[in-house]
Amino acid sequence: MKKPSPLRLTIVAVCSIVLVVVCLFPFAWMALSSVKKLDELYTVPPHWLPSAPTLDHYATVLFNSNIPRYFLNSIVIAVGSTGLSLILAIFAAYGFARFDFPGKAAFQSFVLVGQLLPTAAVIVPLFITLRWLHLVNTYWGLILVYMIITLPLSVWMLTSYLRGIPVELEEAARIDGASRLGILFRIVVPLSLPGIVAVVVYAFVTTWNEFIFALCFATDSSVKTLPIGLAEFSTEFNTDWGGVMAASLVMTVPIVLLFLAFQRLFVGGLTAGATKG
Amino acid sequence: MNRISKSLVFATASAVVTLLPTLAMAGQITWWTPNWGEQRARKLAADFEKANPDITINIEVTTSQGLPERVLTALQSGAAPDIIEVQHAWVQGYAQSDLVQPVDDLLKDSSDYNKAALNYVTYQDHLYGVPYRVECIGLLYNRDDFTKAGLDPDKPPQTWNDWTADAKALTRDGVFGMAITAGGEVGNTITRALPLIWMNGGDIISADGKTATINTPQAVAAVKYYTDFFTNGYSPDSTLQNDGVANRQLFIAGKVAMYQSGQFDIAPIQQGAPNLKLGATPLPHPEGKSSACILSGWSYVIPKDAKNPTDAKKFIQFLNTTDNDAYFTDTFPARISSLQAQRFQDPLLKPFGAALADGRPAPNNPHWVQISQAFFDGIQRILTKQQDVQTSMNQTNDDIQSLLDQ
Amino acid sequence: MARSITGYFFILPAMIVLALLIAYPLVYTVYLSLTNSAGALTDRNFINVMRPAATAISFVNLIYWVGASVVFEVVLGTAAAILLNQKFPGRGFVRSVTLIPWVVPSIVAATTWAWMFHTEFGIINYMLSGAGLVRQPVGWLTDIHLVMGVMVAINVWKLFPFVAVMVLAALQAIPDELYEAAKIDGANFWDETLYVTLPQVRTVLIAVTLLLVIWGLNSITLIYAITQGGPANATLITPILIFRLAFQSFQFNQAAALSVVFFAVTAVIVAIYMRISRAGEVA
Repeated sequence: MKKPSPLRLTIVAVCSIVLVVVCLFPFAWMALSSVKKLDELYTVPPHWLPSAPTLDHYATVLFNSNIPRYFLNSIVIAVGSTGLSLILAIFAAYGFARFDFPGKAAFQSFVLVGQLLPTAAVIVPLFITLRWLHLVNTYWGLILVYMIITLPLSVWMLTSYLRGIPVELEEAARIDGASRLGILFRIVVPLSLPGIVAVVVYAFVTTWNEFIFALCFATDSSVKTLPIGLAEFSTEFNTDWGGVMAASLVMTVPIVLLFLAFQRLFVGGLTAGATKG
Repeated sequence: MNRISKSLVFATASAVVTLLPTLAMAGQITWWTPNWGEQRARKLAADFEKANPDITINIEVTTSQGLPERVLTALQSGAAPDIIEVQHAWVQGYAQSDLVQPVDDLLKDSSDYNKAALNYVTYQDHLYGVPYRVECIGLLYNRDDFTKAGLDPDKPPQTWNDWTADAKALTRDGVFGMAITAGGEVGNTITRALPLIWMNGGDIISADGKTATINTPQAVAAVKYYTDFFTNGYSPDSTLQNDGVANRQLFIAGKVAMYQSGQFDIAPIQQGAPNLKLGATPLPHPEGKSSACILSGWSYVIPKDAKNPTDAKKFIQFLNTTDNDAYFTDTFPARISSLQAQRFQDPLLKPFGAALADGRPAPNNPHWVQISQAFFDGIQRILTKQQDVQTSMNQTNDDIQSLLDQ
Repeated sequence: MARSITGYFFILPAMIVLALLIAYPLVYTVYLSLTNSAGALTDRNFINVMRPAATAISFVNLIYWVGASVVFEVVLGTAAAILLNQKFPGRGFVRSVTLIPWVVPSIVAATTWAWMFHTEFGIINYMLSGAGLVRQPVGWLTDIHLVMGVMVAINVWKLFPFVAVMVLAALQAIPDELYEAAKIDGANFWDETLYVTLPQVRTVLIAVTLLLVIWGLNSITLIYAITQGGPANATLITPILIFRLAFQSFQFNQAAALSVVFFAVTAVIVAIYMRISRAGEVA
């Protein structure tokens, strides 16, 4: 493999630094705030670094709040809803990407409809639906309701990723007698792994951070999620900002680390050689 | 909610209730109480359970973020608890939409309650909430800043002329004399500006609720007085993004010498700036007129679909005895007899207690929220220099009038 | 593409779940919009909700908000994706850091940015005046000419990582041979990008843009948390109006009416968009 030119490396380095600074700057401010004592948080002019860093806020978050319990709930609900969306979306996307049937365009538009309804219009009827299904204040209730947010996008994006995979590969397998389902799971899914990872990241992050549905549909701490935990640091006229910042870091860092592991799957050339011969 | 849709909800709710073994039987009460009073709530619940061993109280702690949405969603979907704590101003809307039960039987001793608070929870001659907490805002100031500016910290401004003169004298050395709010939630600015209109003899809408009166000379003069604090440079540059909490933070950081707020700011100030010498006084009034204040606070309501209203009512009576009301409230109790309790005799609280006497309720109008939004937009138009005071209030008047005409 | 009803079976599970979740809210909203609080049929809701000047202002602001946000999100996101596709040491770290704005909870991101842009407390004004670039504190969130731009910038910061991740995933599917063939033909980086990279990710870019438009049309968290639609309605967008009507003013019927209008308008925009993108798509 040719070594990249020094010019190319420099440009990449500069752009990377700019990107990192832009993304990290507010986050760094949050992280610094999470170790400052309360009276240092609101000074005029603002202080960059804490003069006496403290881990008190983290102690509060980890030992004196509901965050650990809510962390568990968030994981269950996010994993559940991501998993369920993924399965449903893989099937639906394959249907849209590889088949033509009457009303297909209408169905594709219908998929987007859920995203067009304002939350304020949707929340009460959804609550009524959940009650009808006896699913209020349960993990499954929230997992199901989050489908309305994750499913449309997952289907939409996966359809376009699947379209990018050359049909010839599947046709070769069909000729060899493979079934549709077999093709789907043995050929298409492995090839569309980056797209699947992207969709998983989206679904997970969205459910992880969702607030208003969780607030209204989870009525006790057995099911409440992390964003509600964040809200609990605010009382009527006062917010424990140190606590909020520490809790935000606890909410954000695990996901970023998880992505660090998954992003290895973003390696190019998966369909290399597909169209040769 | 209309009848057909309500029957749909009711049918759904009763289907759920009959198909499932009922989780909340007689003997269980679910109480939604905010997180800032959680410890006191738990103590009171424990006391009640000891005295009434056949009743269990499930406490569900609520947060201020998203509270109106959460309460409204629960009330509208038929999945509501037995008791909810809400702000006085929300009760009207619930009563109108038939989402809460009348509680006249709980307020037979209404003469012991703050009149303005009772006004809030009255709808079509019935009471729909039990007030337990009331508060009024006053003027908080930094005594050291007064001394440094050559003013007497024991003589805070009592009239509008004094107020402006002091604000001017205090605006020096990087400090702003008098911070107003013009950002954040609408309620912040209504609480601070509307009383000034009242003091000056005007009002936002007429007593019968049919006419908008915000562009009368008295009202306009009061609005001008309020916005002049910013126009003349006595209020910080960030005023348009500041609410009461931001002003408190600026006060703690020493950037602001005076600002309007309630007694709930006293503890955070003492914690955030232990060396700050705090002073408090009721809001200044125009010469020759008296002070006025908007009463705010919280009430208990019982949802229409509550599973156990009988025990809930019993519990509310317990919560609102003279002693318990004095114990539970964050600011002042709604019961007049509770005001005698020891904790309210603190000298710093005196000006706020005095302000209570001048406390008036916000107008009981179904469009009140939108009216206050129109007023707030008008103030922002003045402060962003898009319109002068009279023009802005004329436009606000039109906006409010079309709301009233609906 | 196979003409076959097998397609129905593949899409069926997802359609059933969506129908279950969407059907009732749709019916409920339309019903509320056409009735008043006593249950009688009326068109007053639509009239009452369209009349105030704020409604028109909110639609205009919305167009600006969505237009500016989407353009920058797509451009910056795609640029970031191309960067993150290059091979260089530390790539994994940079990729993960890029995700941060998107993962940070919106409320916290909103309050942090509001804090940083605060005229008095803010670190941004502090740095600008420290470097001598401004003489007076800048009213980022209080100046009506600046505030919408600032909100768009915050929105772009929050969402461009989403575009970057989606486009990066699409970039993985481009066969190396295409780049090699281009190099043999003497292409440089720009030619590669214009003639190999971008066309290959076209489908994904179109899908992503559509989604960003839909989200932009529906987003309230950032604006509501920072400016509440102000000052003086400079950042008021229609979803916030709907939210206020439904949850603060108890005007459920009007909120439903505005939702219906909003839904119709956005459906038209989406339909036009799909028609345009379909026109360029190969069957």
